[in-house]
Amino acid sequence: MSNVLRPYLAAVRSTLTAALTLENFSSQVVERHNKPEVEVGGSKEVLLNPLTISRNENERVLIEPSVNSIRLSIKIKQADEIERILCHKFTRFMMQRAESFIVLRRKPVKGYDISFLITNTQTETMLKHKIVDFIIQFMEDVDREISEMKLSLNARARTVAESYLIAFNP
Amino acid sequence: MSAPEVYNISQGPITGHAFNADRTQVAVSLNSNDVQILSRSGNDWNTTETLAEHDKIITSIDWAPNSNRIVTSSQDRNAYVWQQTPDPQTGRTIWKPTLVLLRINRAATFVRWSPFEDKFAVASGARAIAICSFDPDNDWWVSRLLKKPIRSTVLTVDWHPNNVLLAAGSADMKARVFSAYIKDVDKRPAGSVWGEKLPFNTICGEYTSPSGGWVHAVGFSPSGDVLAFASHDSTISIVYPGGPAIYTIRSNSLPYVTLTWTAEEALVAAGHDCQPVLFTGNASGWKAAGSLDDTSAPKSAGGARSGFGGASPVGRLNSAAFNTFRNADSRGLGSPGGANSGGSGDTELFTVHQNTITSVRPYEGGPGAVTKVSTSGVDGKLVIWNVSPVGALTAKLNAVRIQ
Amino acid sequence: MEVNFRKIDIDAYDEDVLLETELYDADPRAPSQVIEETKAKAVAVRSSLNKGDITGALVTILDNPPYGPGVDEAKNLTLQTLVTVLNSTKSSDIPNVVKSLPLESQDILMKYLYKGMAMPGWGDVSGSVLLGWHEKLTEVAGTGSIVRAMTDRRLV
Repeated sequence: MSNVLRPYLAAVRSTLTAALTLENFSSQVVERHNKPEVEVGGSKEVLLNPLTISRNENERVLIEPSVNSIRLSIKIKQADEIERILCHKFTRFMMQRAESFIVLRRKPVKGYDISFLITNTQTETMLKHKIVDFIIQFMEDVDREISEMKLSLNARARTVAESYLIAFNP
Repeated sequence: MSAPEVYNISQGPITGHAFNADRTQVAVSLNSNDVQILSRSGNDWNTTETLAEHDKIITSIDWAPNSNRIVTSSQDRNAYVWQQTPDPQTGRTIWKPTLVLLRINRAATFVRWSPFEDKFAVASGARAIAICSFDPDNDWWVSRLLKKPIRSTVLTVDWHPNNVLLAAGSADMKARVFSAYIKDVDKRPAGSVWGEKLPFNTICGEYTSPSGGWVHAVGFSPSGDVLAFASHDSTISIVYPGGPAIYTIRSNSLPYVTLTWTAEEALVAAGHDCQPVLFTGNASGWKAAGSLDDTSAPKSAGGARSGFGGASPVGRLNSAAFNTFRNADSRGLGSPGGANSGGSGDTELFTVHQNTITSVRPYEGGPGAVTKVSTSGVDGKLVIWNVSPVGALTAKLNAVRIQ
Repeated sequence: MEVNFRKIDIDAYDEDVLLETELYDADPRAPSQVIEETKAKAVAVRSSLNKGDITGALVTILDNPPYGPGVDEAKNLTLQTLVTVLNSTKSSDIPNVVKSLPLESQDILMKYLYKGMAMPGWGDVSGSVLLGWHEKLTEVAGTGSIVRAMTDRRLV
């Protein structure tokens, strides 16, 4: 699997590296404010073209860069109904605890499962390439996590069914 | 080429730095509302003074070498000129701030003294540049605004050696050359390649960045006849207004955000790829001559890396080489040859600066013959580099690539 | 009390505000001319491909591509032609082809790769082919090319 995933993650890595070229930028619309321009969207000239990296319709990453912040949204692979439920629960769990993850956004961008918001403050206090590593690791782990959960869910269902049906087996 | 002098000033970003005339003191802002004045003692820099008056983050500092005045700009929309005066009570010499009437209503982003030190320019988010001069009647600095045709935040300015022309780069993807002629201050300037008659706010040139990036840095060459600007599309453009030619160098690395001319045919630019790069050329063409940094090996041997390689002794398959290949396979890390920023288990880049360089300024040598430059960046380091002759660097040109 | 006025976006009425159309210089060519040129290029590309000249085909299609509003047909045709070229290249040939492209074409190719990836399942667009090209192109043109794909408002 990893070999198939590699070009995808490599593309996300290089795009994210290119997008994480942020600086401290004070709002030019509101006096004495300083806010992530990608969320405000007030001044067109400080937003850059959003880029999409996709393997197929169901697995894609959207990177929306701006002068002082970027938003990265991930659509996680969901092959069937169970994966869809697991993915929903998993991302919900994470996003409710968003402040512990610092770069996580509380709400995903429409059409995606989970979003990150990285601002210039974070690239100043953390090592930039480590933020990139974190995102890549997250993408890698989330797929594995969901397929593992699916397996254990199936295993559990089987055990439950067995012990239930054993009662009818003389 | 001797190794650069590296000083760790802080853990957080240095938002601006400026040396005094004899380089014994440096004014820095450590991503805060205060300016610290550091004095050199041996190999260390110690804080000797703190200038506190701003109430938002300081964006830029400049220290006038001859008149020994400091000007600071901040996101609180103000600028202050600091001057050493004896304290009336104690008689001690202190830095006293003078408020500047900027008349802007957004953040001040960048400030520079003019070459004759009788004016300074403050770039701002109010789509304007304030040209300030001293008004002795009221004992304050007054400003005149350059407004048209700026359409977005001005990110940077640079003065022409004749004290009248001003180059500015802004987030509307343009670099412009203005006249900042103030009647009471300036003598009539002689005509130059930029024009003959220069009333205030004349636009002597307007240049768009080649692929639509914000213009982060502008600079006049020592003679003032050439303009260079670095923009967020990872390019450096060099403009010859006389012979209508613009040379553009596309970098294959991350954008440059600051530049300074070292000679009439050489300039140093630095930015998000964490290393200063020397560019050379003349009216017939320009090229990247090489990095001032040696990026072939990690800087502190063992140091930060030992936590991962050194801690796991023999017997485990968890060796450095194994990790490299595993990461290359599973996480799409670049191949070892092309990736000098992609450390897998280590936390250290192979460059001296560990994060974006935000400012590069001449350190030693007069205009046109700069032999050393100083850089400061988001990683809290202040570094002084030798600008060696071009020949020694060309061999290292290949090392400039990142990923 | 009438409170709807609070919802008016007053910043939109700021006369200094920079509009989307002012961020780049508009294409000097008329839309009809653009589509003519694109069709001609598509033919030229096909003949280059028949000769096995992939670099030539790429340079042709990446030269002066349509951008801006009102030329969707030409844009789609260009992408379609480009995808044909990309799909018909052997993956072992990609590094050499990419290296032989002029810098300008490399940047434009990068833009098209992202455009293609933004519309998976459209025509013959295949994620894995585009990702393969993206990887090789990044090795040659570097992150600088990606930055330019972000900053350049002349959307293809």
